[in-house]
Amino acid sequence: MTGNLTSEIRQLLAELTGNSRPLDAPLETALLRDGIGLDSLGGTVLLTQIEQRYGVDIAGEDLNLDSLASIGTLVAYLSAQLGRR
Amino acid sequence: MIKCVIWDLDNTLFDGVYLESDVPPAANATLAGVVHELAGRGILQAIASKNPPEAAQHAERVTGHAFAAALCGWGAKSAAIRAIMTELGLTAEAVAFVDDDALERAEVSFTLPDVLVLEPQDIPEAAGWPPFSPPVMTDEARRRGELYLQRRARQEEARAFGGSRDEFLRHSQTRVTIGRATPADLPRLHELSVRTHQFNSAGSAVSEAEFADLIGSPSYEVATVRLADRFGDDGLVGGCVVVTGGTWQVPLLMMSCRALGRGVIDAFLTWICRTARAAGAAQVALPCLITPRNVPLRIALTGAGFKVGPADHNRHGTGAHRDPRTGRTAVYVRDLGEPLADLPSWARQP
Repeated sequence: MTGNLTSEIRQLLAELTGNSRPLDAPLETALLRDGIGLDSLGGTVLLTQIEQRYGVDIAGEDLNLDSLASIGTLVAYLSAQLGRR
Repeated sequence: MIKCVIWDLDNTLFDGVYLESDVPPAANATLAGVVHELAGRGILQAIASKNPPEAAQHAERVTGHAFAAALCGWGAKSAAIRAIMTELGLTAEAVAFVDDDALERAEVSFTLPDVLVLEPQDIPEAAGWPPFSPPVMTDEARRRGELYLQRRARQEEARAFGGSRDEFLRHSQTRVTIGRATPADLPRLHELSVRTHQFNSAGSAVSEAEFADLIGSPSYEVATVRLADRFGDDGLVGGCVVVTGGTWQVPLLMMSCRALGRGVIDAFLTWICRTARAAGAAQVALPCLITPRNVPLRIALTGAGFKVGPADHNRHGTGAHRDPRTGRTAVYVRDLGEPLADLPSWARQP
């Protein structure tokens, strides 16, 4: 489950950034700024797509947006939210 | 407040149907007049039409207006409106949609309930309603349509550009200029406090008189941020109010969504933190409304190393007590002992 989710999220990030780096970057790679390089616009589109695809409203649930720290934290957060259903 | 009107073409802006006419149809004179009237108030004009792209060019010729965005194709109108909202950085509440076809109007109303959906015969009167009458008119507002055209040119070039976003910002000769607010900035600062939502920490209007008091007060600093590049000059796109001290308090941070994706908010936050640290402060505290609309600002805060302070966690707890739709406030805190990013080379400070 987490394995599939990880590759889905990597795919989504690759589509958003228009490059293939997210496909094989280490899980601890940061999403914002220097890591994957998402800015506030890219981050917003990511959250919108996650809400549409998985029904998880990260912006409403995770005030701190700690889940956006890295590829790994995002997958872990999503997986925990989906597991609760 | 309506910031953009999205027009259908066939039997709406056109007197006739583009693909069914031997001679391409003329503009509907009344509605073309409304386009010009609203554009003059700083409201953007856009096109969503089930037609080939040439129809939009024809619309520009017959109405004499250069539209801020045009989406022609055969997909759902709601999808076209969504794409235009993304391109122009708008939320659904800021959009009006005009279409003669009842089915199209129903599809948009159902899918995007926050969009104001109008029949063509209603728009001339609706143009007189308060949501179409901005309370203040600044130079930036009057030039808004022109600024969005520059934005279109910039986005087209960005799509074709191979490098990273930072490389594109440099390639476009981006200039972010941070300065201290002066009385000449008052109307635009007020306007930003009314119009910005995606990048607004406080979410309430601040009058020119209130800003004047803040500028005159020894307890407050009001900073402005201006943006320009080789595509054009966007003018004053953001501002913040600061109370200096051991902890710098930022009761208001706001930025135009026009500056979205151009490195401005990141540079501005870096500047605030670096200036606070240079003045001897240990942290920056920024109370921020928690709404679905200001997610871009909260992402920028997270990216700049701000964390929601512990006090807020205590107050709001977790789970059932928290309602993300009610517009609560959380205090974002940046510990200045942690490493700070460098101010980008293209940002100038006072």
